[in-house]
Amino acid sequence: MVTKPGIAPALALTGVNYAYPTAEAPALRDVSFELSTGEFVLLAGRSASGKSTLLRAACGLVPHFHGGEIEGRIEVAGIDAIASGPGELAAVVGYVAQDPETQVVSTTVSAEIELPLEMRGDPPASRARAVEEVALALAIPHLLERAVDTLSGGELQRVALAAALVTRPRLVLLDEPTSQLDPVAGDELIWLLRRLNEEWGVTVLLAEHRLERCLAAADRVIAMASGSVGFDGNPRDFLTWAQDADSALETPAAKLFSLAGIEPLPVGVRAARKTLSSSEHRGKGSRTPSSLNLFGGEESAGRERIAEKVQDVRRGSGSPSTVAVAVRDLWVELSRSDEERRDVLRGIDLTVGRGERVALMGRNGAGKSTLLRTLAGLTDAVRGKIALRSEIALLTQNPSDYLVRERVGDELPGDAGQAALRVVGLEHAVDADPRDLSGGERQRLALAIALAGRMDGEALPGLVALDEPTRGMDRARKDDLVGLIGDLAGRGAGLLVATHDVEFAAAFAERVVLLGDGVVIADGPAAEVLSGGWYFATEVGRVLDLPGVITPKQGAEALRGSPGGSH
Amino acid sequence: MRSPFAYIPRPRPLQLASPSAAVAYLGSLVVVAFLYSNPFVLLAVGLSFVIAGRLAGAAAAVRAALWMGFTLALLIVVVNALVVSRGETVLARLGEWPLFGQVDVTLEAILAGLVLGLRAAVVMVAFAVYSACVDPDRVLRALRPIAGRSALTATLVSRLVPVAAADAARLRDAARLRGPGAAPVGRAPLARRLLAGSLDRAVDVAATLELRGYSLQSRDPNAGATFSLPQRGERRFTGGGQGRRSRYDRRFYAVGALVLSVAVIGKALGADAFSEYPATEIGVATITLAVAAVVALSGLAPLRRMPVGSHREPRWVRNAHATELGQGSPGA
Repeated sequence: MVTKPGIAPALALTGVNYAYPTAEAPALRDVSFELSTGEFVLLAGRSASGKSTLLRAACGLVPHFHGGEIEGRIEVAGIDAIASGPGELAAVVGYVAQDPETQVVSTTVSAEIELPLEMRGDPPASRARAVEEVALALAIPHLLERAVDTLSGGELQRVALAAALVTRPRLVLLDEPTSQLDPVAGDELIWLLRRLNEEWGVTVLLAEHRLERCLAAADRVIAMASGSVGFDGNPRDFLTWAQDADSALETPAAKLFSLAGIEPLPVGVRAARKTLSSSEHRGKGSRTPSSLNLFGGEESAGRERIAEKVQDVRRGSGSPSTVAVAVRDLWVELSRSDEERRDVLRGIDLTVGRGERVALMGRNGAGKSTLLRTLAGLTDAVRGKIALRSEIALLTQNPSDYLVRERVGDELPGDAGQAALRVVGLEHAVDADPRDLSGGERQRLALAIALAGRMDGEALPGLVALDEPTRGMDRARKDDLVGLIGDLAGRGAGLLVATHDVEFAAAFAERVVLLGDGVVIADGPAAEVLSGGWYFATEVGRVLDLPGVITPKQGAEALRGSPGGSH
Repeated sequence: MRSPFAYIPRPRPLQLASPSAAVAYLGSLVVVAFLYSNPFVLLAVGLSFVIAGRLAGAAAAVRAALWMGFTLALLIVVVNALVVSRGETVLARLGEWPLFGQVDVTLEAILAGLVLGLRAAVVMVAFAVYSACVDPDRVLRALRPIAGRSALTATLVSRLVPVAAADAARLRDAARLRGPGAAPVGRAPLARRLLAGSLDRAVDVAATLELRGYSLQSRDPNAGATFSLPQRGERRFTGGGQGRRSRYDRRFYAVGALVLSVAVIGKALGADAFSEYPATEIGVATITLAVAAVVALSGLAPLRRMPVGSHREPRWVRNAHATELGQGSPGA
């Protein structure tokens, strides 16, 4: 049965079961729900819970492109998605995948955005207008003439979104669209989607791991668990459900309230601040964020404590005996095209101590990856000095690039290989095929490959650098990574981790270096840097706006320590 | 950093030509490379691609392909010399080798290997010029009528080289970052990994193409025309569809037809005189040299004629003017 597109729900799934070819377990189990036109729905869940499969089924890639067996019924704007293919659904649904590099099929941005319209047979004038309008809506008209292989990850993600939106589809499906974006671009993208949702009436189904980034924008949350719908309701009820069902899905602000015993759980910063400053709470003796203070004392005491930490960090990292790497006046120039060259790093001074855990943050294109590549010798500096006390092991953004053989033991033969496997906790997987390992295990194996032979016995190299290691990771896997980083630092390696994930940085880093346009714009203890701003601050930091308070635990202590904080 | 094989839009004849015209021109030369074994003709084909690539602004791609091609040619010469023992002029008797048996290195086997290697190098340069000069976007659109139901086929034809080039750069970096205790990355595992990875990524790109409606029947058969708005005029040579033609198309079709005709006629008249064994004989008849000359000159097809009124004087003339005006010296 085909319903009229104007009346039909944007997406309707009824009793959908699906298994990939050769998969032992089904990826979707009895999934049923309906999305009305104009809804903004957040799809939550751990890694491998079925989120991406659900999105692929909604745009026709499952089963038409991926194969496998499917049961049940999927309708997109009244069109039977199982009977029709992705091509037929292209007019009513737009899809943005997790990795923007795999969703670019043209060489220039304008050609990429124009392609769906051309395939549909729109006349040239109409195509030109649609490209112009969507480019303006997404603030990318300046990119239209650029070649796609010169774009940053964030720019590429916007181009992919533009190509998905240019046909004005009724339903937009997004699979972790902010995973490669810096906090500023990530926030901008979510609110841009919200604006398009409100102004164009587009139904949005957004899968994300960083729920704190988009929960406040959502009308509804669907949480997947082992291929089934575990929860379907409004964001506030979702937080209550997550508190009991899966704490890995709790947002930091909800965890803060939960630890401090405050209700209702907040769906975002605004709601949290409103609750904290409400008359009801003030009446019970609670403090407004601006009047709360840290460590149970005066705010100035907290600031003094941070100032001491700053001094500690600078003293510790500067001591010659403990230095893992010292960079002085580093300049790096890269070319964007044959003609255009620009300074990506401009006079960087940086010292990382042994055993120190440093987060390297900044906007897309700020120079984080270039700095790591230059330290590892992949990119040449045009000026400056790098003093490495011993070797550096660098893990780039795609761990699969390190894996070229069919057996873990073949990648890491001999005593040096075994020692590296022990360090990352994979000594049991010697005979496994790297492709059979989980995403987290593959990352550990790649790190072991980078470490092998650079260790003196069991002692690690001076510096271990990781470039965006949390792409596509759920919170449970991030917690594992935090544990590994702590372990490596405990063994004496300096850890320099480039990341966009503020909450992850707060969890592992003792110091944060913030890059902006190739220069260091902030360098200090994580508690200081991640609590003093808006974009490069944790959700707890933004809720409480207290110096040094960046994690839910610290926030709950601050709330409890405040006079009358007896919730 | 961009791959030297990546397509860069330039307002030059080969890039401006429609994909079918460019493929007809480059393809005719590749056909000659497979049709002929005479080294003079093969060298002429190679020279033609080098000239064409340079005129089209793809000198970096030609250099990279020559380097790779000569490496491959050297490998072929060595393997052929060890595997083939035919030929009258024995240069060295290397005795019994496991798997190979009696190994006699002959001059004829080396020369035969050189011809095979030369052909492989010429084909690599041809693909380098194709990859760097023919717009994959337009190839994708041009393929739609014949491969509309198979986005994967279209992706493999138009995007595999750029995707593989990008992956190769990343894999090379990862290989350099391996610790000294990890197994070294041999060429074979790397090539396997590169091929598998590129195919996987090509499948992902094909999925995106499906989502963009590639397999749909277009409502308007002329929809491939490019932007008509004046402010998008500069995009005319970067985007556009399968229906757009270029004023250079006829030139490339004509040169391609001429090269093929001359090659076929020459072959019939004995221009491909070459035999490897038992003694190497290379024909240098007039007809062979004539075919080689036509093929080599066809490399000038992408030559751009300067627009009327934009004629620039040679540098020495400009310098002479400047000297007269007291602005510099001839040697400046």
